[in-house]
Amino acid sequence: MKHLIHTLNKAFDHRVRLGVMAVLMANDTVSFNDLKELLDLTDGNLASHVAALEKADYVLVSKQFIGKKPNTTYAATAAGKEAFRAHLAALEKLLSG
Amino acid sequence: MRPDFTATDPLAQLTEIRAIMERSSRFLSLSGLSGVGAGVVALAGAAVAHYYLQSHFADGYAYLLGGSRAERLAALPFLVLLAGTMAGAAVLVAWFFTRRRMQQQGSCQPLWNSLTRRLLVALALPLGAGGLFCLRLYLGDDAGLVVPGLLLFYGLALLNASKYTFTEIRWLGLTQMVLGLLATLQPAWGVLFFALGFGLGHIGYGLLMYARYERPGAAGATGQSQAAA
Repeated sequence: MKHLIHTLNKAFDHRVRLGVMAVLMANDTVSFNDLKELLDLTDGNLASHVAALEKADYVLVSKQFIGKKPNTTYAATAAGKEAFRAHLAALEKLLSG
Repeated sequence: MRPDFTATDPLAQLTEIRAIMERSSRFLSLSGLSGVGAGVVALAGAAVAHYYLQSHFADGYAYLLGGSRAERLAALPFLVLLAGTMAGAAVLVAWFFTRRRMQQQGSCQPLWNSLTRRLLVALALPLGAGGLFCLRLYLGDDAGLVVPGLLLFYGLALLNASKYTFTEIRWLGLTQMVLGLLATLQPAWGVLFFALGFGLGHIGYGLLMYARYERPGAAGATGQSQAAA
């Protein structure tokens, strides 16, 4: 059991990060505001967790302007998707014991 | 993300991940009563069309199909106006019941969000193309294919939109497509097929969805993720 728990990805050890990755697995790109509403988070909370995922190269951030408003969108990278799938597989393995 | 789980409970994690994926990619507040309302609008519209055509053309719709291009052109403004009114009324009813359901669910999301936008675009693209195509059929010599065409394109639009809302809507789409194909066999019964597909089809689907997810005590009535099985 102990061994299996160590196969879980450290980058996903927080539920906000798991939530962000879950949204990005189901959607190609998601804006900061949509992400915030979907996960019911504050700006600062979301930003810090997304920054951690970006640092791990799991999330791609693109900043654009719609008119004069800045619009930040996020997408999961191939590495991020693979890591997330591996994490899910590890969770399922834990379940089946 | 309110309900908390301990990081070591894999089942809770997996359940929450699935719920988040589901509600972030599908609009699950579409009310079944919206479908019932749209169906009632369609039935009323079909009845209005039937009686209008009966009173203006000897044999109603069947006559119009075999009539001259000039006669069909004469009926066009009425039909376009009726179709526009029905579409507008159906959207209004759908908007009303869906907004009410979102309020009941305590959702703070605006109704016009990225999910509903995606859903409407998925519906509108096949429908717009189909509408123009049917207009072309009507103006040519294939007016008998207008109702089959409308049912087919609407079915395809629903099939396309089923990616972004309840998967059950795919069955409504397939029903419309089957009715559309059947309608090609009896073009003269076009108004009847229209009432069957757009009217009874919507009402049946709406009641089913209402019973499944919204009726007090329904399995999915209170759940956060109404994951369509």
